[in-house]
Amino acid sequence: MNIRVVKREGAGMGRQIGAYVAAVAAALVVGAVLLAIQGVEPLAFYQRMLTLGIPGNKYPFRILENFIKLFVPLLIVSTALALAFKMRFWNIGGEGQFILGAICASAVGLKLGESLPRPAVLLVMALCGLLGGGLYGVFVAALKVKWGTNETLLTLMLNYIALYFLQFFAETKGDWNFFLDPASARPKFIKFPVNAQMLTIPLGPFNLNLSLVAAGVICALIFVYLKHTKGGYEIAVVGDSPSTARYAGMPVGKIVVRTIFLSAALIGLAGAFYVSSAGTLSASVTNDVGWTGIVVAWLAKLNTAGIVLASLLITVLQFGCQSASTTYPSIDANFANLLQGVILFAVLAADFFTRFKLVKQSKEVA
Amino acid sequence: MEEQRCAIEMRGITKTFGSVVANKNVDLNVRQGEILALLGENGSGKTTLMNMLSGIYKPDSGSILVDGTPVSIHSPEDSKRLGIGMVHQHFKLVDVFSAADNIWLGDEKSGPVLHKDRYKIIADMARKFGFAIDPKKKVYNMAVSEKQTLEIIKVLYYGAKIIILDEPTAVLTVQETQKLFDVLRRMKQEGHAIIIITHKLNEVLEISDRVAILRKGEYIGTVDTAATNEQELTEFMVGRKVDLNIQRPHVETTRPLLEIRDLSIRNDEGAVAIDQVSFYIRGGEILGVAGIAGCGQKELCEAIAGLRPIEKGQMIHKGDNIVGLSPKAILEKGISMSFIPEDRLGMGLAPSLSITDNMLLKNYREAPGLFVDRKAGRADAEQIIRDLEIVTPSTETPVRRLSGGNVQKVLLGREIKAGPNVIVTAYPVRGLDINSSYAIYDILNQQKQDGVGILFVGEDLDVMIGLCDKIMVLCHGKVMGVVHAHKTSKEELGLMMTGALDLSHKYEDKPSGIARDSQFQEGEEKG
Repeated sequence: MNIRVVKREGAGMGRQIGAYVAAVAAALVVGAVLLAIQGVEPLAFYQRMLTLGIPGNKYPFRILENFIKLFVPLLIVSTALALAFKMRFWNIGGEGQFILGAICASAVGLKLGESLPRPAVLLVMALCGLLGGGLYGVFVAALKVKWGTNETLLTLMLNYIALYFLQFFAETKGDWNFFLDPASARPKFIKFPVNAQMLTIPLGPFNLNLSLVAAGVICALIFVYLKHTKGGYEIAVVGDSPSTARYAGMPVGKIVVRTIFLSAALIGLAGAFYVSSAGTLSASVTNDVGWTGIVVAWLAKLNTAGIVLASLLITVLQFGCQSASTTYPSIDANFANLLQGVILFAVLAADFFTRFKLVKQSKEVA
Repeated sequence: MEEQRCAIEMRGITKTFGSVVANKNVDLNVRQGEILALLGENGSGKTTLMNMLSGIYKPDSGSILVDGTPVSIHSPEDSKRLGIGMVHQHFKLVDVFSAADNIWLGDEKSGPVLHKDRYKIIADMARKFGFAIDPKKKVYNMAVSEKQTLEIIKVLYYGAKIIILDEPTAVLTVQETQKLFDVLRRMKQEGHAIIIITHKLNEVLEISDRVAILRKGEYIGTVDTAATNEQELTEFMVGRKVDLNIQRPHVETTRPLLEIRDLSIRNDEGAVAIDQVSFYIRGGEILGVAGIAGCGQKELCEAIAGLRPIEKGQMIHKGDNIVGLSPKAILEKGISMSFIPEDRLGMGLAPSLSITDNMLLKNYREAPGLFVDRKAGRADAEQIIRDLEIVTPSTETPVRRLSGGNVQKVLLGREIKAGPNVIVTAYPVRGLDINSSYAIYDILNQQKQDGVGILFVGEDLDVMIGLCDKIMVLCHGKVMGVVHAHKTSKEELGLMMTGALDLSHKYEDKPSGIARDSQFQEGEEKG
């Protein structure tokens, strides 16, 4: 008896979706075992996690509002990363671009927050976030186009530069450092003026964060851009075969720079949205969204609709684990990361089984 | 009696992939000390059949006998153990390793340690078989023919008694092919059984003892090479009578469409690839470019398409200078370039994109507004699928899933669809079977009759003599002369290709490659 791998013919859409659902379920089972070992009732924990701790809470809408604050950055960053990955440009600098966007937006928010009307401040903050992130990314793209440098290394290293700048601002007190609260003895980020805080649309007791609307619009636009426009077509060709693109008369360098600017600018915008929703800068502003976004983009196979689902799933995991862990002190939020890893692994395995099947064979050929 | 024993016998082999029957009830046998040619069109199941011997696929039904004993081959290791070695069309070598390490790597006996004496062992072994190879040379520094030699040494080192070569001559020059054939004959003398897959009938007749023919996955029969001829083999292969004469319709030519004067180009390494070349193409003629592989053909094509900067010289299209124009601007002038590289997909097509998307490659900008006009692309795709008889499940199939012939038809179909006035095409029939090749020749002749000027970079001299009006021969980037195809011979072209014969100054009054009715402006004459 021996087992071999055989390619499946024409895996249908239904099978694929079924496999993904099974993969997530399998990951939850693995998680359940781990929970049971630690003496936590898995079903109760999962119930608490998947309902985000809403039932029984005095302010259920506040929870949803906080959830959206986590969801929006991940959604935008994943979509933006997918844009770069489609072109086979390995932008792993999401963290850095996000931080740059956040710093730039905070700076203008703090400087102009008192003097301009609220919509104007928010608009300028968004623009500065866009520019900050975009220029930070386009720098790498330009180097790559000009001298063929490796974008993976450069974007990775720029993450740390951005991160340590942020920490420098977070920890160094001084008259020049307007990011910090002068009233506090210990270094602490100052709260934004009201005009620099994200607008919300009141729907009864629930306040809909405007950035969610913006994120939805961005996703829809990117979907159309990739699928139906000339720019999106160029990205697909450059990603598939740069020599063919050049042969077809496409300005490959320009396309790379343009696309990476767009990708990084959207990530910077996510940073701007995040700080204005939170109302303050923080040293851990990214919440690892630049890394998680990579996972989400690949889980969704760079498909924009898939990215919405995958980022929703990951946010539910992270947010849900956090709120569930308040009830179960033995489990902390890191459990979400663990579960996320298991899910990614299971989905990859499921992907393998939608494309191949294992066949048992007898030793002799008939 | 030894001669009559079958080294390999395949009986009633059937293999299906989903609904596609790749092999249907195929019988095949090879004797020891014999060269068997396996002949068939693209997609007739030759490679699939051989992959079942090398352990990559398993037959659905049927049996395989090695030296008269039934065996089952589950993996390439099983195949190796049975003494079967396959040299694949796409070499399976590690580029950054030396020759010796590539061999060492796959040998179970060599163990986990790289011994210093491996170079000597491999060199000694190669010498024993009559190969000259530097065991320390890295694969990325090797020419195509050296890589192939290394592949052959590899299977011999692993003790193969049965050697399968999948289209080994597709990437070789005429001279290299002869060298390979000498090697094969020597191996045959030593008692190896050899199966060679090829499309080229003249090679089949030259090298093989017997020929087995497949057609659309079915086994047609095996004939003795001595008792057959090209015409008969073609009929077996295609299933009907085929006219093997290439048409060369006579067309009234126009003034030169594209003129190249004193052109010099450097290659990627900075060495001179094209050296002071002058030639011109008229509308309604096919100018062939003959030369040993890598003597500047690729650089020339890229320069005309605007993809490679030129060192000096002039390129005039209908009286306008095109030097320094962007690829896009050159495209808009109606100059089409299609280059089929060795891997067939590298330039001109985006392999993961659909046929529709590939149709759009050069004209997607023309659609008004921001959006790509996929409807028009789909209509174009449907039309060329119909006109050129491209076999594909749909217009949305990624190009990389098509077979070689169909891929090339997509590329050429798109180029012609755009209505160019100059077509530069390099190796358009590379790796194609007879039927597809003739379809491509017909397409080119049709274009020629419509008044298009065609530059045909080719490798098969017989084809070029039959198809082209004139042939320009390159040797190390220099023009050795331009000859009329109906007045020249293979021997003359061969001598020119190797640089032994230089006809570029045959006529004292007029250097070769400069038209009498040139569209060059007087002032530009000297450049």
